[in-house]
Amino acid sequence: MGEKTDVWQGTLALMVLRTLETLGPLHGYGLARRIEQTSGDLLQLNYGTLYPALLKLEQEGFIRSRWGASENNRRAKFYELTKAGHRQLQKAAAEWEQTTEILARFLAPAHEA
Amino acid sequence: MRQLRAFAIRLRGLFRSRRCDADFAAELESHVALHTDDGIRAGLSPQEARRQALIRLGGAEQTRQVYRERRTLPWLEDLFNDLRYGLRIMVRNPSFTAVAVLTLAIGIGATTTAFTWINGVLLHPLGGVADPSRLVVLESVTPNGEWVPNSYPDFIDFRDRLKLLDGIAVTRPSALSVGREDHADRVWGELVSGNFFDVLGVKPEVGRLFLPAEFADAPGKFPILVISDRYWRSHFAADPSIVGKTIPINQHELTVVGVAAPSFHGSLPVTAFDLWIPYMEQPALNSVQEWMLRDRHNRNMLGIARMKQGVTIDQARGELKALADRMAIANADVSEGMSATLLPLWKSPHGPQGLLVGPLRILMGVCILVLLIVCANVANLLLARATVREKEFTARLALGAGRARLARQVLTESLLLTGSGAALGLIVTPWMSHALKYLMPPGPMQQLVAMDTRPNLSVLGFAAGICILAALAAGLVPALQVGRLNLSARLNAGGRSGTAGRGRNRLRSVLVGSEVALALVTLVGAGLFARGFQTTMRIDPGFDPNHVLLSQFYLNTNGYNLAQRKEFCRRLAERMQSAPGVTDVAYSDGVPLGFEPSWWEELKIEGYAPRPNENMSVFRNVISPGYLPLMHIPIVEGRNFTEQDNEDEKSPAVMIVNQAFVRRFFAGRDPIGTRIHGWGSWFRVVGVAKDSKYHYLGESTPAYFYVPFRQIYREDMNLAFYVRTQREPDSVLSTLRAQVRGLDPNVTVFDAAPLKEFIGASLYPQKVAASLMTVLGSIALLLAAVGLYSVMAYSVVQRTQEIGVRMALGAQPGHVLRMVIGQGLALTASGLIAGAVLAIGLARAVASVSFTNSAMGSSAKLLGAGANNPLIYLAAAGFLCAIATLACWLPARRAASIDPMQALRME
Repeated sequence: MGEKTDVWQGTLALMVLRTLETLGPLHGYGLARRIEQTSGDLLQLNYGTLYPALLKLEQEGFIRSRWGASENNRRAKFYELTKAGHRQLQKAAAEWEQTTEILARFLAPAHEA
Repeated sequence: MRQLRAFAIRLRGLFRSRRCDADFAAELESHVALHTDDGIRAGLSPQEARRQALIRLGGAEQTRQVYRERRTLPWLEDLFNDLRYGLRIMVRNPSFTAVAVLTLAIGIGATTTAFTWINGVLLHPLGGVADPSRLVVLESVTPNGEWVPNSYPDFIDFRDRLKLLDGIAVTRPSALSVGREDHADRVWGELVSGNFFDVLGVKPEVGRLFLPAEFADAPGKFPILVISDRYWRSHFAADPSIVGKTIPINQHELTVVGVAAPSFHGSLPVTAFDLWIPYMEQPALNSVQEWMLRDRHNRNMLGIARMKQGVTIDQARGELKALADRMAIANADVSEGMSATLLPLWKSPHGPQGLLVGPLRILMGVCILVLLIVCANVANLLLARATVREKEFTARLALGAGRARLARQVLTESLLLTGSGAALGLIVTPWMSHALKYLMPPGPMQQLVAMDTRPNLSVLGFAAGICILAALAAGLVPALQVGRLNLSARLNAGGRSGTAGRGRNRLRSVLVGSEVALALVTLVGAGLFARGFQTTMRIDPGFDPNHVLLSQFYLNTNGYNLAQRKEFCRRLAERMQSAPGVTDVAYSDGVPLGFEPSWWEELKIEGYAPRPNENMSVFRNVISPGYLPLMHIPIVEGRNFTEQDNEDEKSPAVMIVNQAFVRRFFAGRDPIGTRIHGWGSWFRVVGVAKDSKYHYLGESTPAYFYVPFRQIYREDMNLAFYVRTQREPDSVLSTLRAQVRGLDPNVTVFDAAPLKEFIGASLYPQKVAASLMTVLGSIALLLAAVGLYSVMAYSVVQRTQEIGVRMALGAQPGHVLRMVIGQGLALTASGLIAGAVLAIGLARAVASVSFTNSAMGSSAKLLGAGANNPLIYLAAAGFLCAIATLACWLPARRAASIDPMQALRME
C-alpha cells in the first residue's frame, strides 16, 4: 500500500470516539494528528472534514466541547467523550469488528474448499 | 432519538448563526495556529508553515461551508430565504397580491365553511359523548316503510330484551318554561329516559347526572334535572352551588342535580338543548295522563342506542327487527305490521341534519368547483408574472442556480399566497359558519340550531390540506415552466420581452378555457336547482297559506290542564274573531306542511273489510270548526264541524274525511253517516273535505281525516292557532299579543310566523340548494370573467407591436377588434363545450341526491325532474358568452386604438 488512503465514510466518527477514549480531551488539530499517527501515517485526513464530523457527534450528544489552553498555551477548543459517547463507542466497535470478521472470511485464501 | 436531538440542535442553530460562525472561525484560527507552530518546530519558515497548514485544512471557506451545512438545516434556511423573498415580492405588487389573496380567501373560506358544517352535521354529529361511532338512532317503521318515533312501552321492551346493544335511551325534545308565572323564559330541553346520559356516555361538569336508581319507569318519582353548561353560564353565572337548588319548570319545582359537560348539547346533531328531565316527570310537567306513558300508540320518543363493542349495525338491526316483528304480533291491536330499525346518527330524519344532508353534499362539491376556478385564476396570474420575471430567472440560472431550486421558490411563493388566503379565509369561517342558522326554516328549529363554529383541529387540518393542494394546483404549472426555460435563447433575446413562447400562451388558454367550463357547470347547477325549486313551488298545496298568521302555543309550560287549554283556545278565538282586520280564526294540533311528524290513528271502518295485513293507520288532524274555512279547503259533501260538535263532549263524535279517504275506503258508497272507530269510540262521518297537501308538496295525496278539537284534543298534542287577516299577517301580531295578555298575562311565550313562511319549511332543502348555487354561481362567474379579462388584456399588451405592424400595413381598427374578440370567443367556446359535457355528467349524478322533507324519513329529489333541461344549458352558455365578449371587448378596444407609430417604437 504505497498511497495514503482516504477515510471511509462513517469510520471517521469511530476513530474520533476511540481516540478520545484512549487519550482523553483533545483539540481538533491534536485529534487529527493523532488519528494519522495511529494509522501509521497510512491515512491522510483532509483536516477540514474533521470539523463537520465533530459537530455531528456533538449534536448527537456523543462528545462535548469547551474552550481551553493547549500545551503550548494557545486557546483551543477541546473535545471529550460523554457517557453516551462511551456507549456508542462500544456498540459501534462491536459492529465494526463483526463486519470486518465477516469480510475477512470472504477474503481469506480459499484453502479449505 | 439521537437524530431528533441533532435535528433540534440544528433547528436552534438557525437562530444563533452569527455567534456560532464567530466561534467556528476562532476554532479554525486556533487549528491553523497549532498546525503552524508544529511546522515551525519542524524547521519551516513561519510563512511556509502557515501555507502548509491552510493547504492541509483543505480551504478555510469550503470547510466553513460544509460546517455551516451541518450546523443548521440548509433546506430550512432556503425556505426562510424563499419566504422572505416571496413576502418582499408580494409587498411590491400589492394589486396582484390583493387579487390573488382575496380570491383564494373566498375559495378556501367557502370550502372550509362547507367542511365545518359537514364536520358538525355528518362527521361528528354529537359532541361530549363517549365513542360516538357505536351510537345509532332507533326508529320504528310503519308498515308503509316510513320511519316514526317510538312509544315508551316499546322502548321498555327493546331496552330489556336486546342483547347486542349496551343500552337504549329515548328522548323527547320539548319546550319548557323556566321561572315563575309572568317572567318565565321558554327553554328547549329533552324529556329523557333515566339511562339517557349513561347510554350516551356523558360526563358531568358539576354535580352528577342521573343515577341508576333513577332509571326506573316510575312516573313522578324523580323531580330532578340536569342543565347544560351553556345555560349554567348564561343564567347562573357558572355558580357551582346551583347543584341541589330547585328551579321552577312549567311551574313545578325540580332539583338541579348537575351540569353536563360543556361539549354536550343533547342527542340531536347541530341542535343545542339546555335542560334534561326524566321523562317520568311528563305527567307532572305537562299534565299528561299516566296511562299515556303506557300507551303503545303514543309514539313520540326518539330512540338512540349504543351497540356493544364489536357488533356491527347489521347484526344489531337484525336482532332488533326480529324482536320488533315478534312484538308486532304480540301487540297486534296497536302495532300490526310495525317494525323497527337502526340508523347511523347522521341518517336520523329528526332535527336539522335531515334537512341538511343533501344540500351540504352539493355545497361541498360546488365549493370545490369554485376553489378550482380560483386556482386556475391564480395559476394564470402567476404565469403572467413568471413571464415578466423570466429575465430574473434566466440570470439566476446563468449564475448557477439549480432549476429545482428555482421551481421550489416559485412553489414557495404560491404557497405563501394560498397560505395568506387560507389565513384570511379561516378568520371569516367562524362567521360564515353561523350562517347555517339561516339555512334552517324559521321556527323552533332555527332557534335551536347551534354549532361549534370555533375552528377545531380537523377543520384546521382540512384548511391546511386545501391550502397546500391549492398551492400545488396554482403553482405547479408556473414552476414547471421555470424548469423549461431556455437559457441561451432568453439571454440572447437581449432586452426584448413580449414574445413569450407559444407554449405558454397555449397553457394560459387552457387555464382560461377550464375556468369557463367550471363556471358553466356552476351556472347550469344554479339554474337547475332554481328551476326545480320553482316547479315545486308551483304545486298547489290545496289550501291558501297567504295572509294567515300561525302561532304555536306551549300552554303546558304554564301548568294548564286539558280543560284550561281548551277553554283558553275558545276564548282567544272569540276575542280574535272580533279584532279589526281579522276574517277567520282557527286552531289545530298539527300544521300542514310543517316540518314535524304527523300523527295517525288506527281506524275500523264500518262496511270496509281490510285486506290481511292492511295498515289501517290513517293520518289525521285535530281541528276547530273554523279550520277548514280558514284554510279555504272546501267541503265537497256533507257539512263542516259546528260549534255544537265542539261545545259538548257528550255530543255524538263526528269526523270529516278527505276525498282520498273516500276513494280508498268507500268505493262507490256514500260516506256520509258511516261509522268509523278510533280512540276507543265510534265517530260518524259528517263531511268530505277536498284533498290538499299534508306533509310535503310532492306527496301523492294520502287518506286523511279531521276530528273536532273539543272532542279529541289530548294533553300531549300541540296547539297551533291561526288568524286570517285582510292585510299582511304580521299586522295582527300585536293585537294577538294583547289579547293573549288579556286572557292570561302569564302566557308570554309563543312562536308566531306567517303560515306562508312556516310551510316553506318543507321546501327548505331545495330553496337552500337553489340559493347557495346562485351565490356560488355568481362568484364563479365573476372569477371566470376576471380570468378571461386578464388573459385577453395581457395578450393584447404582448401583441402591441404586432398589432402596430398590422395597422401600419393597413389593417382597420375594426379588423383588430374582430380579431381580438374572435380569439377570446374561440377560447370561450372551447371552454363551453368542455363545461357542457361536464355539467351533463354532474347533473345526472346530482339528480340522484335526495333530501328528507318530513320527519318521517320519506325523501324527495333535490333537482326534481328536468335535469337535462336544454334551455338552462343554453341560457347559461349564452350568458357566459356575453360576459366573455365584454371581457374581450375592453382590451380589444384598447388594441384597436393603438397608434401604429408608438407601438412600433415600443422597446
